[in-house]
Amino acid sequence: MFAAEDEVGRDLALVDWRATPLGPPEEWPQSLQTAVSILLSSRFSMWMAWGPELTFFCNAAYRRDTLGRKYPWALGRPASEVWAEIWDDIGPRIDTVLATGKATWDEALLLFLERAGYPEESYHTFSYSPLRDDSGTVVGMLCVVSEETERVIGERRMATLRDLGSDPSVVRTEQEMLAFACRQLGRNPHDLPFTLTYLFQDGGGARLAGVTGISAGHPAAPLTLPADAPDAVWPATALARGESVIVPLDPASLDPAPLDPAPLDPASLDPAPLDPASLDRAPFAGLPAGGWPEPPTQALVVPLLQQGSAPYGFVVAALNRYRPLDEAYRGFIELAAGHVAAGVASARSYQAQQRRAEELAELDRAKTVFFSNISHEFRTPLTLIMGPVEELRGRLQGADAQVREELEVIRRNGLRLGKLVNTLLDFSRIEAGRMQASYEPVDLAAVTAELASLFRSAVDKAGLDFRVDCPPMDEPVYIDRGMWEKVMLNLLSNALKFTFEGAIGVTARREDDHAVVTVIDTGIGVPAEEVPRLFERFHRIENARSRSNEGSGIGLALVQELVGLHGGTISADSAEGAGTRFTIRLPYGSAHLPAEAITTAGTGAGATTADPYVEEALRWLPVDDTGEPTGDTMRMPSHDGSTAPARVLVADDNADMREYLVRLLQGAGYVVSTAGDGMEALDAVRADAPDLVVSDVMMPRLDGLSLVAALRSDPRTAAVPVVLLSARAGQEASIEGLQAGADDYLVKPFAAAELLARVRANMDMARLRQHQARWRSALVDSLQEAFFVCDEQGAVVEINSAFTDILGYGPEDLPYTPIHPWWPDAATDPAAHQQVADAFSGLLGPGQGSYTIPVTHRDGHRLWVSVTFNQAQDPDTGRHVVVGTFRDVTAEHYAIQRESALASLSTSLSQAGSLSDALTGALRELRSLWRARSVLAAVFDHGEEPTLTAAGESVDWHGLPGDRRRALTDLLRRPLLTPVADRDGVGILLEHPEGQLALWVDLGDHRPFTGEDQVLLSLLAGRLAQGLVRAHQIDQQRETAIALQRAILGPAQLPEGFAVRYEPATRPLEVGGDWYDTIALPGGRIGIVVGDCVGRGVEAAAVMGQLRSACRALLLQDDSPARVLMALDQFAAGVPGARCTTVFCAVLDPETGRLSYSSAGHPPGILALPDGSTGLLDGGRSVPLAVRPGATRPESETIIPARATLMLYTDGLVERRRRPLYSGIDQASQAVQDGRNVAVDDLATQVMIRLAPAGGYDDDVALLLYRHPAPLEMTFPAESSQLAPVRKALRSWLGQCDLPAQIVQNILVAAGEACANAIEHGHRHTPGDIVRLRAEASVDNLRLTVADTGRWKSPEPEANAHRGRGVALMRAMMQQVTITPGPYGTTVDMQMRIA
Amino acid sequence: MTTPLTLTPGVRPDGAALLTAAGEIDMSNTAALEAALESTPGPVVLDLTSVEYLDSAGLSVLFAHADHITLIANPLLTPVLTISGLADIATVHDGDLDAR
Repeated sequence: MFAAEDEVGRDLALVDWRATPLGPPEEWPQSLQTAVSILLSSRFSMWMAWGPELTFFCNAAYRRDTLGRKYPWALGRPASEVWAEIWDDIGPRIDTVLATGKATWDEALLLFLERAGYPEESYHTFSYSPLRDDSGTVVGMLCVVSEETERVIGERRMATLRDLGSDPSVVRTEQEMLAFACRQLGRNPHDLPFTLTYLFQDGGGARLAGVTGISAGHPAAPLTLPADAPDAVWPATALARGESVIVPLDPASLDPAPLDPAPLDPASLDPAPLDPASLDRAPFAGLPAGGWPEPPTQALVVPLLQQGSAPYGFVVAALNRYRPLDEAYRGFIELAAGHVAAGVASARSYQAQQRRAEELAELDRAKTVFFSNISHEFRTPLTLIMGPVEELRGRLQGADAQVREELEVIRRNGLRLGKLVNTLLDFSRIEAGRMQASYEPVDLAAVTAELASLFRSAVDKAGLDFRVDCPPMDEPVYIDRGMWEKVMLNLLSNALKFTFEGAIGVTARREDDHAVVTVIDTGIGVPAEEVPRLFERFHRIENARSRSNEGSGIGLALVQELVGLHGGTISADSAEGAGTRFTIRLPYGSAHLPAEAITTAGTGAGATTADPYVEEALRWLPVDDTGEPTGDTMRMPSHDGSTAPARVLVADDNADMREYLVRLLQGAGYVVSTAGDGMEALDAVRADAPDLVVSDVMMPRLDGLSLVAALRSDPRTAAVPVVLLSARAGQEASIEGLQAGADDYLVKPFAAAELLARVRANMDMARLRQHQARWRSALVDSLQEAFFVCDEQGAVVEINSAFTDILGYGPEDLPYTPIHPWWPDAATDPAAHQQVADAFSGLLGPGQGSYTIPVTHRDGHRLWVSVTFNQAQDPDTGRHVVVGTFRDVTAEHYAIQRESALASLSTSLSQAGSLSDALTGALRELRSLWRARSVLAAVFDHGEEPTLTAAGESVDWHGLPGDRRRALTDLLRRPLLTPVADRDGVGILLEHPEGQLALWVDLGDHRPFTGEDQVLLSLLAGRLAQGLVRAHQIDQQRETAIALQRAILGPAQLPEGFAVRYEPATRPLEVGGDWYDTIALPGGRIGIVVGDCVGRGVEAAAVMGQLRSACRALLLQDDSPARVLMALDQFAAGVPGARCTTVFCAVLDPETGRLSYSSAGHPPGILALPDGSTGLLDGGRSVPLAVRPGATRPESETIIPARATLMLYTDGLVERRRRPLYSGIDQASQAVQDGRNVAVDDLATQVMIRLAPAGGYDDDVALLLYRHPAPLEMTFPAESSQLAPVRKALRSWLGQCDLPAQIVQNILVAAGEACANAIEHGHRHTPGDIVRLRAEASVDNLRLTVADTGRWKSPEPEANAHRGRGVALMRAMMQQVTITPGPYGTTVDMQMRIA
Repeated sequence: MTTPLTLTPGVRPDGAALLTAAGEIDMSNTAALEAALESTPGPVVLDLTSVEYLDSAGLSVLFAHADHITLIANPLLTPVLTISGLADIATVHDGDLDAR
């Protein structure tokens, strides 16, 4: 038995079973051995418990999945000890199973198992089924488990991630975003007992930005964390480097005093004074526990990563102490943190964009002021240079590279000159005192930070760290915005120009009564001797390494002038090779400024533009093939994930326009490709989608609007942003363009800058979208359920990795068009195929749904998946799609199938009335379960050939094909309950009470019979074997029961004329409470009782016995049936189970046929009259026994006419389902009537046969027949003196038969002759021997028998005339006379028709 | 117990010898009947009107005396007398059982 499986079986064999209540295995009952065999051979996770202590067994799967470290300790121990920690949960369930025999089913029950050395949160779906011993008593339970911990926890985590991504608002501030994220994190107190979100501050350190499950300010949740503090609660430094850290949350880790187990020193009996500081430093004492009873013991601290830059901050995630920190848990926390980080990024970028937009407006105004102020003297010549240069550039597009390069030089320097001119203009204004300064009170820190932010992209692009640390100032500083911008922009531009690695930083702080702004870099620095000359106009440091040789040397001089105008100072300190710091100090207040230049807040306008500075700075940075510099925080990977520059496709049929656009976009750093019309563009995009398309509206073949529509309709290209260009102005046109799905729309003519701005903006938007798409696909991919999207035709166009995991089909072969490759094969498994086809048609229909269907894994194995789907609209294309998920429910499916198969087999077995019924029913169940062609059972009993039973085809052994016979015979050499499959079926061997049973399931052509099927078959075969044993026992019990019941009812010493029958119900093979009785009463009368107790089995039989005896005794005391029943009412009221018994009680005077009777709710007696009519004894009726004790019962009387037949019965004879009782009574009446000429005993047999339902009686039946008068039976000595009394009796009897006198006389003569012969001839030598006479009348026949023990003489009329005369007389008187001589006597049988 | 039979000898008004039987005649008492008949020499009228039963043993006695007896029988006995053939060789007169 233990050999069924190596691993656990070996250890089971080592258990000292003698020490358990089960004793040594060789003495185990068959049922236990069967159960253990099934358990061990199953691949499903199972354990079982058996016997008084519920001794524990399990299989390898259970060991692996659930038992963990308790193996092998648990084997053979009481289950309550093995699962002590969850006994409160499972104990009552097991008790229920043992008490009721009914299985339990629990889905995803939370249990804290201690299988890995700690209480572990785990979820189990399991059923407990009863296990029965050989006698059918429940003595144990089998638990089939599937652990669902991963699914339950996975779903919980998914819910959190889904919620995190469900923020409906597009833009939020950082605070709003964090508040939202914290609300979502806080809803999962199981995986995240508490969380802390810290954001790094520009000046170092971190501040607490969000908490869940803990209050801000808790010792473990300080509001700020200082930078570089080694003893900080959380390791901010490591996190700033982007590392994740696991922090143990030992409440005593920093608080040794209270737990110090040092030996007591008498000198220090006083408790050591608690150091308040040490308590403060015990940040992990009193931590909240989240959704658990105990606080967490560990936290995982993960950075809020920022691509290519230092993290934004970090998230402290306290960990569920009941789960290990495995890859999935860590992944979950990282995904959650990733979402928070993305939220911070988008909030910040949104804020920056907001600021930039405002600034651009401001700059625009400043530009206007600037240009209106500039004098013709400067403007005109520059314009006259730059204008023609631009002209030339356009006209010389086709010229050689050198010419164009030279033109670029001219142009660049023209621009530079323009900037220089403007700076000079400022100087001239300052010097002329015409600088129209307008000082307004501002938060200098904010203004400075804003200015710094203008340089962020350039700094980032240069690969430098940009640290802006400008906390709000508590007092405004009066500045001229324009001037201040120039100050900051010059300083920043300068820093960028001379810094190649490291960082650029801007800070704004209050120092006493000054606002101090510093711009610091880690650039090349300035030699000490050069520092004093830094602010000199036109002073340049020779041979300094810089990003550009451009530079007038005038910027810092202007800065110094402008700072001076604000009453401030600027200083520089620098170390060569280490960097430079400029420090500007501005006084607070306005006293130092000219009163007329003071304005109120918000009225001053900037005087300059940042563009020249920033653009110039950007030009210093490389834009070559090697790609953009690393570290661009705003940079997103393009579609293919590489870091290549963004690609733009230009579609325009006008070559000039196309080239212009190409130049423009290439100039802005894009990689540009072109298409001559919409169709070409569509092909190009489909072949290799660019990051953005710029398309003209009017184009041949396919216009711009159609192009947009085509792109949007294809999921692969739907997301590519499109900017349309059109000559058509007006709002309608743009609405048309946008409705077509264009992302933006420009009307020609357009400014180059505007186009670039729109391109860039749309590119950014697209990247933002891509970010969302990436988030979405990360989310979808992280789903544990398989996810798919179907188009309207049912083609699967998108899947996630779980889909691939479950089905084996990956995204590389998308789309999967129907019929999908995972459908079961229509040829080999048409039913499964149809199931999927049905589900599929539901999928394409409207609405939502869910199905559980069979599918085929790519490697061919069968899976069951539960699919849920919903209709959705693709937001990009507007098309209807179906979005669905499914999960692998194979194990569940088979578990349910197993349960239901076992249940229906058990039902079938329990309903079987005999061993052969049990087997036949079980084969039918098996056949329908597998939709098998046939199921065959060969029982190798002790006959020459096995006994065959089949479901689906009827065969005998020799009718079987030879290979099938061989397969069945071969099974005998196999171990029990081990399935053996071949090409077209599977066989298994099991025990049958009469020998070994080889079972064969013929599946038909090459149908798959999976491993699960095999497990199921062995389970079912085990159950069947047990069921057969029980059926066999039932067979034996049935025989015993019938014998018993008949014994109770007695080998009836029936009075003459009576016949009785008792037949127990065919099912459930139990005796019942029906009875009949006849009692000889004083005065020759006969008491007749037929009754029916409620219920079946021993109890009913016992009740019946008591009532029968009581009724007998009562009848002997009182011959009134009504009074007997009334007394019986009183008696029955005191007998449990006797209530509602129905009884027909009668007293018969056999002489007269007078019958008095009373019925206690019993079906009426039937009286078949000699004239062919039928009457019912339906008088004297009242309620069943003990229903109304004390009530008077009625009594009726009738005369049973001669040769009438009375039938009393119990309802089992006539009661049929779906048929009125009277129809049964009519049928019974007819049966009696038809048998009125048959002797009553034969009639009883006829009636029982005729009324039996097809499947046998399903209730027990008692039947009593009486024909009046009772036959006359006499025995008398063979002496002539006996003739007269015999004659007298016979005459009297014949009188009862109501016959004409002459007939009576004839009969008397015939009988007399027969008797005389018997006396005279039969017993001539032995007078005094016995002669028997019997006379029996039916409706139209009278039969007379006279038997003696002697030998008659042959009639010899010659010799003895008068003797022959006797026989002649007999023959003359009767119609039929048969004289049968025999060695032991002679019988004369005479009959006469009497009607 | 012997079958009840009374045999009463008498003389008919016409002077003929009369034997009146009452009861039943079977094997057990045919000897008495035979004795009675033999003790009455010459023709005799045997009145069987009150005889309810007559079997073949009785018939045998009657056959033996058929040539000198005249029978008076009730209808119940008629079939026996007819069937046995006694009616053919002996004179049988219908008697009324009830009129007796």
